[in-house]
Amino acid sequence: MRGDRTWPRGRAIPDTLGGGGAVRRIFWLAWRDLTLELRGRAGLLAVVFFLTVMLLILGLAFGPYPQDLRKAAPGVLWVALAFAGSLLASRAFGLEVEDGTLDDLLLTPGGKEWIYYGKLLFQMILLLAVGLILIVFTAGLFYLPLAAWPGLLLTLLLGTLGYASVSTFYAGMLARLRGRDVLLPLLLFPIVVPVVLSSVQATIGLAQGLPVAEMRHWWQLLLVFDVIYVTVCSLLFPWVLEG
Amino acid sequence: MQTLERTPTTRLDGLTLALLGTGTLAFLVALYFVLTSPPEVSQGYVYRIVFVHISSAWVGYLAAFGCLAYSVAYLVTRRPAHDRMAAVMAELILLFMGLTLVQGMLYARPTWGVYWEWEPRLTTTAILFAVYVGYFVLRAAIEDPELRAKAAAAVGILGVINVPISYMSVIWWRSLHQVQSFNLTTGKSQFDPAMLPALLVTLAALTLLFLGFARFKGFLAAQSAHQEAIGG
Repeated sequence: MRGDRTWPRGRAIPDTLGGGGAVRRIFWLAWRDLTLELRGRAGLLAVVFFLTVMLLILGLAFGPYPQDLRKAAPGVLWVALAFAGSLLASRAFGLEVEDGTLDDLLLTPGGKEWIYYGKLLFQMILLLAVGLILIVFTAGLFYLPLAAWPGLLLTLLLGTLGYASVSTFYAGMLARLRGRDVLLPLLLFPIVVPVVLSSVQATIGLAQGLPVAEMRHWWQLLLVFDVIYVTVCSLLFPWVLEG
Repeated sequence: MQTLERTPTTRLDGLTLALLGTGTLAFLVALYFVLTSPPEVSQGYVYRIVFVHISSAWVGYLAAFGCLAYSVAYLVTRRPAHDRMAAVMAELILLFMGLTLVQGMLYARPTWGVYWEWEPRLTTTAILFAVYVGYFVLRAAIEDPELRAKAAAAVGILGVINVPISYMSVIWWRSLHQVQSFNLTTGKSQFDPAMLPALLVTLAALTLLFLGFARFKGFLAAQSAHQEAIGG
């Protein structure tokens, strides 16, 4: 389509949007952000530390009987992940604004959807990593059974995609705003509640050892949310970010 | 870039007054229909609140779609008037959804024995309400009018996703709340024909009032925007 051939090949940003160009741009952006995040470390470590403390407090609050902890496990897992997600969301565009690189990113020729997809991929990888750590923690502290791990992984994948799609969008929209850290969770939570609700329900089913067929409609619902959120957010993203 | 809008008239137009007037009249007629409708088999007279309850929920949903339409219109045309109308619609969502929630609680107390139950229909409706409260918190938090309008439009568009969820929740989750009176996906009616007139008149009355309120609030919003623009 809008392949702008006048830009030299071999630049840091793949310069064409036709064919694989957009996909390469998306991976390039996610890769760059991940590298920066891992180099910085402080942000990720803070999130993991926050989650550990939170799980310990929740464990003390619900404990000490294993049956109580087991009952609380799915809720604890997703509430912790939602909190971690709102902490991580501000990382999506935080560095861009601090370093003043957001404008450079927006000035790259072609559409702007790829910026959203790149940031979404970055957020999803972070959330998935945190989610995996959380599952191990809740399995250890809250007796969440790991026997149905493929189902848990699928729920985690669908749930984090739904969550990250909205959180990335809002983070981009509010990137330049001063009070964004307060505003972000406020806007984010009501919109992602359907995703968190269905994820919790699917996890409860898995924890109780129900047959996988009974969880299918929760996964279908999650998939529907994911498709709607990703589509709507990526369509809206260029409209709210420019300028 | 700020384009100068034409000076708004300082008088309410006839259509707004007509909508508000006929809406009020229709509401009185609806009251008559509701209070003369036959008692229900199991609930007796208590059920009569459903006429207002269902109607205000529908009008609330309608307002959510109105907010969606004006939000999309704003993003496409960038006219401040559309942004103002989206905010008016969001206000009306809060009004009608708030009424629905309160009426639902009053209805739940004698029939379910409690004011509130954590079941899907109520929870999703409360979430819908929370989304549009967030809409106004967002508007209050952003100074720059253009960014405010864009951000609000995004919330107005994303928020409407909760409407079908709330509407379908009684079927998807088989909840305590009874199923829709009219299932729009299958076209089936749960309503006794004898009770139908009361519902339809109430619905018509609330819809007329909704349109009247929307025009009236839009008029007020245009006035205050004009005052601000000329520095009054």
